[in-house]
Amino acid sequence: MSTWLIQQTQALRLVLSRFRHNLLSTVFISLAIAVSLALPVIVYLVLDSFSGVTTTLKSESNINIFLEPNIDHTVRDSIHNILASHTTIESFIFVPKEKALEQLAQTTANQNILAGLDHNPLPDAFFIQLSTLDSQSISALTEQLRTMDGVAEVQIDNAWLKRLNYLLTIGKKAMFVLVILLGFAVFAVIGNTIRMQILTQQEEIEVSQLIGATKSFIRRPFLYAGAAYGMIGGLFALLISSGVILLFNQSISALASEYQTQFSLHLPDFNVFLTTCLTAMIIGLLSAYLAVSKSLFKSIN
Amino acid sequence: MIVLDNVTKRYPGSQEALSNASFTIEQGEMVYVTGHSGAGKSTLLKMIAAIERPTSGTVLINNQNVSKLRASALPYIRRKFGLVFQDHKLLYDRNCYHNVALPLSINGITGEDAGKRIRAALDKVGLLNKEKAMPITLSGGEQQRLAIARAVVSRPAILIADEPTGNLDKNYASDILDLFNAFQQVGATVIIATHDALGAARKQHKILHLDHGILTQPEVSA
Repeated sequence: MSTWLIQQTQALRLVLSRFRHNLLSTVFISLAIAVSLALPVIVYLVLDSFSGVTTTLKSESNINIFLEPNIDHTVRDSIHNILASHTTIESFIFVPKEKALEQLAQTTANQNILAGLDHNPLPDAFFIQLSTLDSQSISALTEQLRTMDGVAEVQIDNAWLKRLNYLLTIGKKAMFVLVILLGFAVFAVIGNTIRMQILTQQEEIEVSQLIGATKSFIRRPFLYAGAAYGMIGGLFALLISSGVILLFNQSISALASEYQTQFSLHLPDFNVFLTTCLTAMIIGLLSAYLAVSKSLFKSIN
Repeated sequence: MIVLDNVTKRYPGSQEALSNASFTIEQGEMVYVTGHSGAGKSTLLKMIAAIERPTSGTVLINNQNVSKLRASALPYIRRKFGLVFQDHKLLYDRNCYHNVALPLSINGITGEDAGKRIRAALDKVGLLNKEKAMPITLSGGEQQRLAIARAVVSRPAILIADEPTGNLDKNYASDILDLFNAFQQVGATVIIATHDALGAARKQHKILHLDHGILTQPEVSA
């Protein structure tokens, strides 16, 4: 075994035995780190789940076309035929202006207004449900519909989708801020823990330096400890966030089924697992390095 | 071989702890450093062990100039020495075995090999049956011997002890000195600081006597 490997395993063993001897405090520190990490993870998973919704719901985008008033029924029929043969159209319904007026007249408030009108102001309309999410083919279709004879207006009904996207963007920014702030919290917690450990091991450090320990020999176990706190905290964070999401998912699925859809929040996948643990480990390592460099090596040299 | 040439040490804001000290210690020699407390004995030992660097002058250890070495090279020089500190500097959070294990782990020696050496060192100082005991449960003399076991476990060529018999009664003290004699007889260089000038003089060894940081001839009485 190379010297380098011996030194690493030596430091790792030391850290593990220290963790084992102070199991309770190790668990509590890791939990404190985990809570800080779990919050951004949960927010991420919620956002991720909702951006999944926007892609699936795009297929339910609607296009409404309103025809010119007094349109000839042969023109109307030809529009009907074009729509029926179009591949990007899932289905459509035709609402003649008489029916639209009927529907409008169903409420009494509107009846009063309509009573004052001498003719039906409403146009004939097609309500189209699209089969594609591709924005290019949607806009191509829209263009085609606009230029057709007898079409007065084309409306793409995706305003709510835009709003949801804006909300998601705001959510992502909030998550970013959360990651930064709580990243600092983790940094501080680990740094403080390492500083405390350095204090309790002050004598050992001093003696070791006197009898020939190098700086890296003394620094190494603390760096491992910092990274280990990060990793354990990351694992706990994934457990916490999974637990929270499972807890909420029951109610969310129930709510979604009331809207005749299926929706649930995602559980952390492998990428989330890897990102969380690696980020936490790197924060731990940096924090420990800073703590060690600041607190050690004051007594000698 | 240890050579000090015109070595002066001054701590910030105080007088010279050591002034223009020059001497040579040969491999395998037994040397006593004597003088009243505050005479600069500890400073001298720290200079030899590469713990402190001289303000001026040169310290050569096996022809390496400690004064000129990079800070990162000092730990490796220090490993050539076995140190017995005035205040033991034992670690009270671990048992005797693990106290003695410390220098070996610094040298990257662990496991079976380390175990053998640790028990050999404990055996040499007569503490083999106490390997699981915590240092706090040992008597003063036993703690001193444990400190010696830690100093010799990595088989250093040079053993340095600062007041090893300071707080011990006469019987314990002569036990400890016998131990150092035994190490010298197997070829180690032994350097002992003591304020007990008479006891040291009686031993017929080389004596470096310090008076207020200046090396002088010891007053040998009768």
